[in-house]
Amino acid sequence: MSMSEAAAAMLLLLGCLFYLAGTVGLLRFPDVHARLHALTKADNVGLMLVCAALALLSGSLRVAALLGLIWLLGLLAATVSAHLIARHARRHPEAHR
Amino acid sequence: MSLALDVLLALALVVLAILTVAGPGLFRAIVMFIVFGLMMALAWARLGAPDLALAEAAIGAGITGALLLGAFRALVRADPAKRRAAFRRPSRLALPVAVLATVLVAVLALALAELTPGPGTAGALARAALKDVELGNAVTGVLLLFRGYDTLLEIVVLLAAWLGAFALRGDEPPAPRTESAATVPLLDALLAAVVPLAVLVAVYLLRAGGHAAGGAFQAGAVLAAALVLLVLSGRLRPTPAPDLPQRVLLVLGVVVFGLLGLAMLIVAGQMLAMPGLWAVYLVEVAMMVSIATTLALLFAGAGGLRRAP
Amino acid sequence: MSTSLVYLLASAALFGIGLYGLLTAAHVLRKLLALNVMGGAVFLLLVTRESDSKLVTLAARDGAAPDPVAQALVLTGIVVAVATTAFALALMVRLHAVSGSTELDDD
Repeated sequence: MSMSEAAAAMLLLLGCLFYLAGTVGLLRFPDVHARLHALTKADNVGLMLVCAALALLSGSLRVAALLGLIWLLGLLAATVSAHLIARHARRHPEAHR
Repeated sequence: MSLALDVLLALALVVLAILTVAGPGLFRAIVMFIVFGLMMALAWARLGAPDLALAEAAIGAGITGALLLGAFRALVRADPAKRRAAFRRPSRLALPVAVLATVLVAVLALALAELTPGPGTAGALARAALKDVELGNAVTGVLLLFRGYDTLLEIVVLLAAWLGAFALRGDEPPAPRTESAATVPLLDALLAAVVPLAVLVAVYLLRAGGHAAGGAFQAGAVLAAALVLLVLSGRLRPTPAPDLPQRVLLVLGVVVFGLLGLAMLIVAGQMLAMPGLWAVYLVEVAMMVSIATTLALLFAGAGGLRRAP
Repeated sequence: MSTSLVYLLASAALFGIGLYGLLTAAHVLRKLLALNVMGGAVFLLLVTRESDSKLVTLAARDGAAPDPVAQALVLTGIVVAVATTAFALALMVRLHAVSGSTELDDD
């Protein structure tokens, strides 16, 4: 196992840990805002770590750039949807228990 | 290791299917179905069918999910009390019938797997015939060169579905989308980034469909997704009926494909023959536009669309 | 146990689950979901069968992809499925608007 493969494996494991934490938070936290907090923070970092690991493994600048683009789009979508959910939750608290 | 991944994926599919058909709550069932579609996309990728993976993710999970959630929304708005309705119809026969069907399909599948394919399967023949054409993607080749009738009738089916939904739409004008959505500053950032990118991806998918995974259906679904986003954010408003340009876009795929097919019947004596690569791309562009328009209008309540003032 | 066997068994299970859901669901929307699950099972069966190991060795030069004819059929199937689902949803919304119910009569 080369240096870069070992580093990629570490990044992947770390990313999975973030995903696990985010999912546990999503399932266990009491209200909408706390759940969103768990979800977006953990998933954004998790996605970044997984993308970084894959980019390392691919060893190609083109693939790395594409993975970076995927991460940015994921960030954008997660940010806006979390913002919309939080906004709706604040304006219509009754719909979110 | 890779077998473990397949087993895990298959188990996830089964569990998600159970939650879809028998889980609590209608809304949850729809969400589970969308996740089921995404897992199916992964399964297609594992099976070496990237065209199907793209189509499933964009159409099966994406557009179908948006349609289901839209219909659910319409029901809840009309009758908020039924929001959590999840009653089941008790049936003594359902379980035995389902188990029987499962065993039947399993036996059928195993029998098929035992079958030794002959040397001249349709797929092998298609691959061999496509060697002479400059179409690297065998699926696109089969869709347009060998099964043109299927593909033509498929977009006719899509058009018929829209016509049916159009005839069924209520008398009251479709309700505008949420009042607040139009005034969220962050949405502008999302739309400014995602809509041009969706167009770019659609064109890329269409162009790539010649030699790699992609094609008119995937590209059309991506364009439709961008339009759905515009409808959801209030940038496009539903109208009772589509205007003339929209009607042209709706039938463009059928008309271009059909006319070209008829022309080839006269010129070459063969219906739906493709005179060249340019014709393939021409038909693909027309189909992409029609598919995107039809799916977007179906989502918007089967009427037309116009820009928000 | 081979990869294709896993997916073949999964498709059989999915078909049974979908059929069960179709028979027991009261709400039309739920019936539609079950129908779509059944469709997915059939698609899976078609493509998996064609990408069976024996065929894969046959098509190994082309990157072990499944039979393109089966893939084209399934691609058509996916689009037809979304068209029928959309039409059925429109019918359901209309049914609800007219009768106030989202269930079908028994007969």
